Amino acid sequence: MRTHALLLGSAAIALCLGVAQSTLAEAHHSGAGFNSDKVIELTGTIKEFQFTNPHTWIQIVVEDNKGAKTEWSVEWGSPNSLGRQGIRPSTFPAGAKVSMRLRPMLNGAPAGAFVGAKFADGTTVGRWE
Amino acid sequence: MRALPVVLAFAMWVAPGLCVAQSASATPKPGDALPDWSGVWSMVGGTVFDRATQTGEGGATSVGVRSHPPYNAEWEAIYTSHLERRDKNLFPDTISNCGVPAGFPRHFNLPDPYEFVVRPEQVWVLTENGPNVLRIYTDGRKHLDDQWATYTGDSVGHWEGDTLVFTTMALKGFRDKDVILDRTGLVLSDQSRATTRIRKIDPKTIQVEMTIEDPKALTKPWVVTKQFQKMPAGTRVYDYGCAENNRNPADVETGKTLILGPDGKPLNK
Repeated sequence: MRTHALLLGSAAIALCLGVAQSTLAEAHHSGAGFNSDKVIELTGTIKEFQFTNPHTWIQIVVEDNKGAKTEWSVEWGSPNSLGRQGIRPSTFPAGAKVSMRLRPMLNGAPAGAFVGAKFADGTTVGRWE
Repeated sequence: MRALPVVLAFAMWVAPGLCVAQSASATPKPGDALPDWSGVWSMVGGTVFDRATQTGEGGATSVGVRSHPPYNAEWEAIYTSHLERRDKNLFPDTISNCGVPAGFPRHFNLPDPYEFVVRPEQVWVLTENGPNVLRIYTDGRKHLDDQWATYTGDSVGHWEGDTLVFTTMALKGFRDKDVILDRTGLVLSDQSRATTRIRKIDPKTIQVEMTIEDPKALTKPWVVTKQFQKMPAGTRVYDYGCAENNRNPADVETGKTLILGPDGKPLNK
Protein backbone atom coordinates (compact mmCIF):
# COMPACT_ATOMS: atom_id res chain seq x y z
CA MET A 1 0.00 0.00 0.00
CA ARG A 2 1.31 3.36 -0.95
CA THR A 3 1.90 5.50 2.06
CA HIS A 4 2.26 9.21 2.34
CA ALA A 5 2.03 12.14 4.67
CA LEU A 6 -0.53 14.81 3.97
CA LEU A 7 -0.72 18.17 5.63
CA LEU A 8 -4.30 19.26 6.00
CA GLY A 9 -5.44 22.79 5.43
CA SER A 10 -6.32 25.04 8.29
CA ALA A 11 -10.01 24.74 7.48
CA ALA A 12 -9.94 21.13 8.50
CA ILE A 13 -7.97 21.79 11.62
CA ALA A 14 -10.82 23.33 13.54
CA LEU A 15 -12.75 20.10 13.20
CA CYS A 16 -10.11 18.05 14.84
CA LEU A 17 -10.08 19.27 18.39
CA GLY A 18 -11.80 16.84 20.63
CA VAL A 19 -11.05 13.62 22.37
CA ALA A 20 -7.29 13.65 22.11
CA GLN A 21 -7.00 17.24 23.22
CA SER A 22 -9.24 16.88 26.21
CA THR A 23 -7.54 13.65 27.15
CA LEU A 24 -4.05 15.09 27.12
CA ALA A 25 -5.14 18.34 28.67
CA GLU A 26 -6.20 16.40 31.75
CA ALA A 27 -3.27 14.05 31.58
CA HIS A 28 -0.42 13.58 34.00
CA HIS A 29 1.78 15.88 31.95
CA SER A 30 1.63 19.08 29.97
CA GLY A 31 0.63 18.91 26.31
CA ALA A 32 2.87 21.86 25.53
CA GLY A 33 5.05 19.96 23.05
CA PHE A 34 2.20 19.51 20.59
CA ASN A 35 0.78 22.03 18.16
CA SER A 36 -2.82 22.60 19.17
CA ASP A 37 -3.44 24.67 16.03
CA LYS A 38 -2.51 22.10 13.43
CA VAL A 39 -3.62 18.63 12.43
CA ILE A 40 -1.72 16.45 9.98
CA GLU A 41 -2.72 13.20 8.39
CA LEU A 42 -0.43 10.23 7.97
CA THR A 43 -0.98 6.93 6.22
CA GLY A 44 1.09 3.97 7.23
CA THR A 45 1.32 0.63 8.97
CA ILE A 46 0.75 -0.01 12.66
CA LYS A 47 3.92 -1.28 14.30
CA GLU A 48 2.72 -1.40 17.90
CA PHE A 49 -0.08 -0.15 20.13
CA GLN A 50 1.43 0.46 23.56
CA PHE A 51 -1.67 0.05 25.74
CA THR A 52 0.13 1.22 28.85
CA ASN A 53 -0.07 3.82 31.61
CA PRO A 54 0.09 6.68 32.00
CA HIS A 55 -0.63 7.09 28.29
CA THR A 56 -1.13 4.88 25.29
CA TRP A 57 1.13 5.28 22.26
CA ILE A 58 0.49 4.18 18.72
CA GLN A 59 3.67 3.45 16.77
CA ILE A 60 3.05 3.79 13.04
CA VAL A 61 5.59 3.40 10.21
CA VAL A 62 5.15 5.84 7.36
CA GLU A 63 6.92 5.53 4.01
CA ASP A 64 7.50 8.59 1.86
CA ASN A 65 7.48 8.85 -1.93
CA LYS A 66 11.15 7.87 -2.09
CA GLY A 67 10.68 4.77 0.00
CA ALA A 68 12.22 6.14 3.17
CA LYS A 69 10.47 4.87 6.29
CA THR A 70 9.83 6.91 9.43
CA GLU A 71 8.38 5.63 12.69
CA TRP A 72 5.88 8.06 14.23
CA SER A 73 4.79 8.04 17.86
CA VAL A 74 1.19 9.07 18.44
CA GLU A 75 0.11 9.68 22.01
CA TRP A 76 -3.42 9.03 23.24
CA GLY A 77 -5.22 8.84 26.57
CA SER A 78 -4.69 6.48 29.45
CA PRO A 79 -5.56 2.84 28.79
CA ASN A 80 -7.95 3.05 31.74
CA SER A 81 -9.94 5.93 30.32
CA LEU A 82 -9.89 4.58 26.79
CA GLY A 83 -10.75 1.09 27.99
CA ARG A 84 -13.86 2.44 29.68
CA GLN A 85 -14.83 3.89 26.31
CA GLY A 86 -14.44 0.60 24.45
CA ILE A 87 -10.88 0.90 23.17
CA ARG A 88 -8.80 -2.28 23.50
CA PRO A 89 -5.19 -3.32 22.82
CA SER A 90 -6.54 -4.97 19.67
CA THR A 91 -7.98 -1.69 18.38
CA PHE A 92 -4.73 -1.01 16.51
CA PRO A 93 -3.35 -4.43 15.49
CA ALA A 94 0.24 -4.63 14.28
CA GLY A 95 0.43 -4.72 10.51
CA ALA A 96 -2.86 -2.90 9.94
CA LYS A 97 -2.92 -0.18 7.29
CA VAL A 98 -4.37 3.01 8.65
CA SER A 99 -4.69 6.73 8.04
CA MET A 100 -4.21 8.78 11.19
CA ARG A 101 -4.78 12.39 12.14
CA LEU A 102 -2.73 13.95 14.88
CA ARG A 103 -1.57 17.24 16.33
CA PRO A 104 2.13 17.20 15.54
CA MET A 105 5.03 18.21 17.71
CA LEU A 106 5.98 21.85 17.50
CA ASN A 107 9.55 21.10 16.53
CA GLY A 108 8.69 18.80 13.63
CA ALA A 109 9.80 15.57 15.29
CA PRO A 110 7.83 12.48 14.21
CA ALA A 111 5.28 12.41 17.03
CA GLY A 112 1.94 13.91 17.91
CA ALA A 113 -1.29 13.74 19.85
CA PHE A 114 -3.93 11.40 18.50
CA VAL A 115 -7.09 12.83 16.95
CA GLY A 116 -8.55 10.00 14.87
CA ALA A 117 -7.86 7.09 12.57
CA LYS A 118 -9.45 5.39 9.59
CA PHE A 119 -8.69 1.84 8.53
CA ALA A 120 -8.56 0.55 4.98
CA ASP A 121 -12.03 -0.99 5.38
CA GLY A 122 -13.50 2.39 6.29
CA THR A 123 -13.92 1.85 10.01
CA THR A 124 -12.86 4.76 12.19
CA VAL A 125 -11.56 5.36 15.70
CA GLY A 126 -11.75 8.67 17.52
CA ARG A 127 -12.62 11.89 15.71
CA TRP A 128 -12.84 11.51 11.92
CA GLU A 129 -15.60 13.75 10.65
CA MET B 1 -15.59 -4.26 14.65
CA ARG B 2 -13.24 -1.36 14.82
CA ALA B 3 -15.75 1.42 14.38
CA LEU B 4 -15.54 2.77 17.88
CA PRO B 5 -17.17 6.11 18.47
CA VAL B 6 -15.37 7.66 21.39
CA VAL B 7 -17.60 9.00 24.11
CA LEU B 8 -16.70 12.56 25.09
CA ALA B 9 -18.60 12.65 28.35
CA PHE B 10 -20.20 10.22 30.66
CA ALA B 11 -23.72 11.27 29.83
CA MET B 12 -25.63 8.54 31.59
CA TRP B 13 -26.17 9.03 35.23
CA VAL B 14 -27.86 6.03 36.70
CA ALA B 15 -28.55 4.27 39.93
CA PRO B 16 -28.74 7.28 42.18
CA GLY B 17 -27.47 6.49 45.64
CA LEU B 18 -29.49 6.96 48.76
CA CYS B 19 -28.23 9.68 51.04
CA VAL B 20 -28.97 8.68 54.60
CA ALA B 21 -28.78 11.33 57.25
CA GLN B 22 -27.52 10.20 60.58
CA SER B 23 -27.49 11.52 64.06
CA ALA B 24 -25.00 14.24 64.81
CA SER B 25 -22.70 12.11 66.92
CA ALA B 26 -19.08 12.95 66.17
CA THR B 27 -17.84 9.39 66.20
CA PRO B 28 -20.06 6.83 64.50
CA LYS B 29 -20.78 3.71 66.46
CA PRO B 30 -21.34 0.27 64.97
CA GLY B 31 -24.82 0.24 63.53
CA ASP B 32 -25.02 3.98 62.96
CA ALA B 33 -26.31 4.92 59.54
CA LEU B 34 -23.71 6.52 57.31
CA PRO B 35 -24.23 8.25 53.98
CA ASP B 36 -24.16 6.11 50.88
CA TRP B 37 -21.31 7.46 48.76
CA SER B 38 -20.84 4.18 46.91
CA GLY B 39 -20.09 4.06 43.23
CA VAL B 40 -17.49 5.74 41.06
CA TRP B 41 -17.22 9.50 40.68
CA SER B 42 -15.57 11.96 38.33
CA MET B 43 -14.53 15.54 39.08
CA VAL B 44 -16.54 18.21 37.30
CA GLY B 45 -14.53 20.69 35.26
CA GLY B 46 -10.88 20.96 34.37
CA THR B 47 -7.89 20.51 36.63
CA VAL B 48 -6.91 24.17 36.62
CA PHE B 49 -8.29 26.29 39.46
CA ASP B 50 -8.14 29.68 37.77
CA ARG B 51 -9.21 29.86 34.13
CA ALA B 52 -7.93 33.41 33.95
CA THR B 53 -4.42 31.92 33.82
CA GLN B 54 -5.16 30.01 30.60
CA THR B 55 -3.06 31.88 28.09
CA GLY B 56 -2.95 29.17 25.47
CA GLU B 57 0.82 28.97 25.87
CA GLY B 58 2.82 26.13 27.33
CA GLY B 59 -0.05 23.68 27.08
CA ALA B 60 -2.42 25.93 28.99
CA THR B 61 -5.70 24.76 27.55
CA SER B 62 -7.74 23.39 30.42
CA VAL B 63 -10.87 25.09 31.57
CA GLY B 64 -11.28 25.59 35.28
CA VAL B 65 -13.24 27.63 37.76
CA ARG B 66 -12.21 31.14 38.72
CA SER B 67 -10.67 30.51 42.07
CA HIS B 68 -7.50 32.50 42.39
CA PRO B 69 -6.15 32.22 45.94
CA PRO B 70 -5.78 35.49 47.89
CA TYR B 71 -1.99 35.50 47.86
CA ASN B 72 0.09 38.07 49.67
CA ALA B 73 2.59 39.99 47.54
CA GLU B 74 5.45 37.55 48.10
CA TRP B 75 3.48 34.49 47.04
CA GLU B 76 1.71 36.30 44.22
CA ALA B 77 5.18 36.96 42.82
CA ILE B 78 6.07 33.29 43.21
CA TYR B 79 2.92 32.25 41.39
CA THR B 80 3.46 34.80 38.65
CA SER B 81 6.94 33.44 38.07
CA HIS B 82 5.51 29.94 37.78
CA LEU B 83 2.98 31.11 35.20
CA GLU B 84 5.74 32.71 33.17
CA ARG B 85 7.70 29.46 33.20
CA ARG B 86 4.53 27.52 32.33
CA ASP B 87 4.05 29.67 29.24
CA LYS B 88 7.52 28.54 28.09
CA ASN B 89 6.82 24.89 28.94
CA LEU B 90 9.47 25.12 31.65
CA PHE B 91 7.36 24.63 34.76
CA PRO B 92 7.48 20.93 35.67
CA ASP B 93 4.41 19.17 36.93
CA THR B 94 5.56 17.34 40.04
CA ILE B 95 3.55 14.23 39.21
CA SER B 96 4.85 13.90 35.65
CA ASN B 97 7.82 11.86 36.84
CA CYS B 98 5.60 9.35 38.61
CA GLY B 99 7.20 9.43 42.01
CA VAL B 100 5.19 11.45 44.50
CA PRO B 101 1.55 11.71 45.63
CA ALA B 102 -0.57 14.53 44.29
CA GLY B 103 -0.88 15.79 47.86
CA PHE B 104 -3.58 17.90 49.48
CA PRO B 105 -5.58 19.80 48.20
CA ARG B 106 -4.65 18.58 44.70
CA HIS B 107 -6.09 15.25 45.76
CA PHE B 108 -9.47 16.78 44.93
CA ASN B 109 -8.26 18.21 41.62
CA LEU B 110 -7.45 15.15 39.53
CA PRO B 111 -8.83 13.59 36.36
CA ASP B 112 -10.09 10.00 36.21
CA PRO B 113 -12.36 8.15 38.66
CA TYR B 114 -12.74 8.72 42.39
CA GLU B 115 -14.16 6.45 45.07
CA PHE B 116 -15.42 7.66 48.46
CA VAL B 117 -15.33 4.73 50.87
CA VAL B 118 -17.24 5.37 54.08
CA ARG B 119 -16.50 3.30 57.15
CA PRO B 120 -17.36 4.09 60.75
CA GLU B 121 -13.77 4.71 61.78
CA GLN B 122 -12.34 6.17 58.55
CA VAL B 123 -13.28 7.57 55.17
CA TRP B 124 -11.00 6.84 52.26
CA VAL B 125 -10.96 8.97 49.13
CA LEU B 126 -9.30 6.92 46.43
CA THR B 127 -8.18 8.29 43.08
CA GLU B 128 -7.35 6.13 40.10
CA ASN B 129 -4.97 8.79 38.85
CA GLY B 130 -1.73 8.43 40.72
CA PRO B 131 -3.11 6.40 42.44
CA ASN B 132 -3.67 8.39 45.64
CA VAL B 133 -5.30 7.63 48.97
CA LEU B 134 -6.62 10.23 51.41
CA ARG B 135 -7.43 8.75 54.82
CA ILE B 136 -9.75 10.73 57.04
CA TYR B 137 -9.94 9.40 60.59
CA THR B 138 -13.37 9.59 62.22
CA ASP B 139 -12.67 7.40 65.24
CA GLY B 140 -12.25 10.27 67.64
CA ARG B 141 -8.48 10.61 67.46
CA LYS B 142 -6.79 14.00 67.40
CA HIS B 143 -3.97 15.40 65.31
CA LEU B 144 -0.56 14.66 66.77
CA ASP B 145 1.17 17.64 68.33
CA ASP B 146 4.43 16.61 66.69
CA GLN B 147 3.09 15.38 63.35
CA TRP B 148 5.71 15.73 60.62
CA ALA B 149 4.74 17.14 57.26
CA THR B 150 3.77 14.91 54.34
CA TYR B 151 2.28 15.39 50.87
CA THR B 152 -1.29 14.55 51.89
CA GLY B 153 -0.99 15.58 55.51
CA ASP B 154 -3.02 14.29 58.45
CA SER B 155 -6.82 14.41 58.27
CA VAL B 156 -9.10 14.02 61.28
CA GLY B 157 -12.82 14.57 61.18
CA HIS B 158 -16.34 13.85 62.35
CA TRP B 159 -19.85 13.62 61.00
CA GLU B 160 -22.37 16.45 61.20
CA GLY B 161 -25.47 14.69 59.97
CA ASP B 162 -24.74 13.64 56.39
CA THR B 163 -21.71 15.93 56.13
CA LEU B 164 -18.16 14.80 56.77
CA VAL B 165 -16.16 17.63 58.33
CA PHE B 166 -12.40 17.26 58.73
CA THR B 167 -9.25 19.23 59.21
CA THR B 168 -6.04 18.57 57.31
CA MET B 169 -2.68 19.70 58.64
CA ALA B 170 1.02 18.79 58.53
CA LEU B 171 1.30 19.54 54.80
CA LYS B 172 4.60 19.97 52.98
CA GLY B 173 3.14 22.52 50.63
CA PHE B 174 5.80 23.91 48.29
CA ARG B 175 8.56 23.58 50.90
CA ASP B 176 10.43 20.97 48.86
CA LYS B 177 9.17 22.14 45.46
CA ASP B 178 7.36 18.85 44.91
CA VAL B 179 3.73 19.67 45.67
CA ILE B 180 1.63 21.88 43.41
CA LEU B 181 -2.12 22.38 43.20
CA ASP B 182 -2.36 22.40 39.45
CA ARG B 183 -0.21 22.66 36.35
CA THR B 184 -0.15 26.44 36.38
CA GLY B 185 2.17 26.30 39.36
CA LEU B 186 -0.41 27.21 41.98
CA VAL B 187 1.22 26.48 45.32
CA LEU B 188 0.72 26.80 49.08
CA SER B 189 3.24 26.92 51.90
CA ASP B 190 4.11 24.41 54.59
CA GLN B 191 1.91 26.45 56.93
CA SER B 192 -1.22 25.63 54.97
CA ARG B 193 -4.07 23.72 56.53
CA ALA B 194 -7.70 23.18 55.62
CA THR B 195 -11.15 22.49 56.92
CA THR B 196 -13.12 20.43 54.45
CA ARG B 197 -16.81 19.61 54.26
CA ILE B 198 -17.97 16.74 52.05
CA ARG B 199 -21.64 16.11 51.38
CA LYS B 200 -23.76 14.41 48.78
CA ILE B 201 -25.88 17.31 47.59
CA ASP B 202 -28.03 15.19 45.29
CA PRO B 203 -28.06 11.52 44.29
CA LYS B 204 -25.46 12.04 41.56
CA THR B 205 -23.29 14.80 43.03
CA ILE B 206 -20.78 14.85 45.87
CA GLN B 207 -19.53 18.29 46.85
CA VAL B 208 -16.20 19.01 48.50
CA GLU B 209 -15.77 22.45 50.03
CA MET B 210 -12.28 23.26 51.26
CA THR B 211 -11.51 26.32 53.36
CA ILE B 212 -7.77 26.71 53.12
CA GLU B 213 -5.77 28.84 55.51
CA ASP B 214 -2.12 29.69 55.03
CA PRO B 215 -0.65 32.48 57.19
CA LYS B 216 2.56 32.41 55.17
CA ALA B 217 1.03 32.70 51.68
CA LEU B 218 -2.56 33.94 51.92
CA THR B 219 -4.12 37.16 53.17
CA LYS B 220 -7.39 35.45 54.10
CA PRO B 221 -8.98 31.98 53.94
CA TRP B 222 -9.43 30.60 50.43
CA VAL B 223 -12.63 28.64 49.85
CA VAL B 224 -12.52 26.14 47.00
CA THR B 225 -15.44 23.98 45.96
CA LYS B 226 -15.13 20.89 43.81
CA GLN B 227 -17.99 18.69 42.68
CA PHE B 228 -17.92 15.06 41.63
CA GLN B 229 -20.54 13.44 39.44
CA LYS B 230 -21.52 9.81 39.59
CA MET B 231 -20.25 7.71 36.72
CA PRO B 232 -22.36 4.97 35.13
CA ALA B 233 -23.12 1.96 37.29
CA GLY B 234 -20.61 -0.79 36.81
CA THR B 235 -17.74 1.55 35.94
CA ARG B 236 -14.42 -0.15 36.67
CA VAL B 237 -11.36 1.47 38.21
CA TYR B 238 -7.97 0.22 37.10
CA ASP B 239 -4.27 0.22 37.90
CA TYR B 240 -2.51 3.48 37.18
CA GLY B 241 1.07 2.32 36.80
CA CYS B 242 2.46 5.77 36.11
CA ALA B 243 5.99 4.44 35.66
CA GLU B 244 4.89 1.64 33.34
CA ASN B 245 5.61 3.55 30.15
CA ASN B 246 6.10 7.21 31.03
CA ARG B 247 7.19 8.87 27.81
CA ASN B 248 6.55 12.40 29.13
CA PRO B 249 8.92 13.00 32.03
CA ALA B 250 9.88 16.48 33.14
CA ASP B 251 13.51 17.36 32.40
CA VAL B 252 15.17 17.66 35.80
CA GLU B 253 17.49 20.39 34.52
CA THR B 254 15.09 22.67 32.70
CA GLY B 255 11.63 21.63 33.89
CA LYS B 256 10.56 21.09 30.32
CA THR B 257 8.03 18.35 29.66
CA LEU B 258 9.83 15.91 27.37
CA ILE B 259 8.35 13.68 24.71
CA LEU B 260 10.30 10.47 24.35
CA GLY B 261 10.62 8.57 21.10
CA PRO B 262 10.36 4.79 20.84
CA ASP B 263 14.06 4.50 21.68
CA GLY B 264 13.57 6.39 24.94
CA LYS B 265 15.44 9.47 23.74
CA PRO B 266 13.78 12.90 23.96
CA LEU B 267 12.27 14.24 20.77
CA ASN B 268 12.21 17.80 22.16
CA LYS B 269 15.24 18.13 24.43
